[in-house]
Amino acid sequence: MLDGYSSQASMDRNIYEGLSSPNIHTPHNMAEYASIITHYPEAELWAGGTFLMSRPDSYPSRKMGREIISLASMEELHRFQRNDRFAEFGAMVTLDEVMSTGKAVLPKVLLDNIRSIGSRLITRKATIGGAIATRELSTTFPGTLISLDATVEIRFIRKKRLHSRWMQLTRMLDKNGKVSLPPGGMISRIRISFSDKDCQYFTSIGSVLSRPSEAVAIAFTASMDQDVLDNPTIAFTYPDIGILYSRDIDNIFSSLRFPLDEGEFRSLEQIVFTFIDSSIQELSRLQRARTSGILRAIIDDLNEKSLTSPAS
Amino acid sequence: MKVDCTIDGKTLSLSLNSDKPLSLIINENLGAGSGTNHCNGSLCGLCAVLVDGKPTLSCLVPAFELRGKEVQTFDGFRRTKAFKDLEKAYDAVGAYPCSDCYEARSIIFHSLIADDVTDRSEILKELSVIKCSCMDPDDQVAIVKQGMAIRSGKRVRRIQ
Repeated sequence: MLDGYSSQASMDRNIYEGLSSPNIHTPHNMAEYASIITHYPEAELWAGGTFLMSRPDSYPSRKMGREIISLASMEELHRFQRNDRFAEFGAMVTLDEVMSTGKAVLPKVLLDNIRSIGSRLITRKATIGGAIATRELSTTFPGTLISLDATVEIRFIRKKRLHSRWMQLTRMLDKNGKVSLPPGGMISRIRISFSDKDCQYFTSIGSVLSRPSEAVAIAFTASMDQDVLDNPTIAFTYPDIGILYSRDIDNIFSSLRFPLDEGEFRSLEQIVFTFIDSSIQELSRLQRARTSGILRAIIDDLNEKSLTSPAS
Repeated sequence: MKVDCTIDGKTLSLSLNSDKPLSLIINENLGAGSGTNHCNGSLCGLCAVLVDGKPTLSCLVPAFELRGKEVQTFDGFRRTKAFKDLEKAYDAVGAYPCSDCYEARSIIFHSLIADDVTDRSEILKELSVIKCSCMDPDDQVAIVKQGMAIRSGKRVRRIQ
């Protein structure tokens, strides 16, 4: 059976290989990028390539006349700068560079997200812009950046001219929870504020790339002041479905007084699942169980925090 | 497309599909790569090679990114002194990777030794990319530390 499958795969490869070598464009600056994307509006943007190359059907490509724009030579996308309020990363800064340059200053939730990927063999190649702009699947990064209220600079073509606009990442989510870019648009910079929130949690269960229909990630940030959460933000990521974020859920969290007892946790959980079910229908039982488990772990930790913090 | 690169010390000019993964190039175009696996995106970690001296999963490197790069596969690495030292470290610890992951794990061990990574969690995190579970974590850390000791012993002898 396996042999049959592999010989079929090999035959497919022989058929498509040679027919489908994509054209590679390597712009060195924004002007060159604008010129290329104007000529080839359907071109695929290539950042680190980690996501694209790890798709089972990535090679040989079945698309004929595929155009790829490799962003690796665009020097301005590799820049990193920071001041006392925020850090700004070019889209081609790798996750390993984000980790090493901002270890001392970046929010814990972001660093935990990068650590959750594991080996540097992956983080040395994956870029922060690429992690946000994946098309078929959502990685855990947009959710984490939403919880940090990050903004991104979008470059896009309108009337044959290159425009730029800073947007909050939450505003880029479409109704299916996917990060959507305007046609020919690209993310060029990501701005992350230094967060003074003392409750930051990132938990991811399951493999985003190899088992997306089972994976779940939750990013949560808030400050706790007198047993009440101040400015809480929670984002749920289901890689095969999208990112779920709602101000209403944030408001529910800010109305809670900790510690929560079992009954209060159950009603919070019910509200969260009502929101999730109203947004998506295909949540699997495993994803549901994992979401519940992560939520409980976060609430348990917040309960502990509220009980151990000095009385005000 | 034409790709000029150096693989195992040989300067090559290859005519390739521009998005062909390095793991397949090694297997099909060069006929080398005894253990360079092509896993079709399952990120098994068994295709690790050194690209410009850094360990990289060759299934994630497309042909067009190889221009001007220097690639060392396990076949090239096994001829180096660093590999002989690594074999001594395996012997000293008495633990060896299985035949499936020997090549990839040896390349990552080598990079950890070269980068002087001593932190246990860092060592295990770097090796976690290999899905094969044939080795005990303590043995893996011991091999890296033993490898460093062998290398620093050589340095001391050279200075004397």
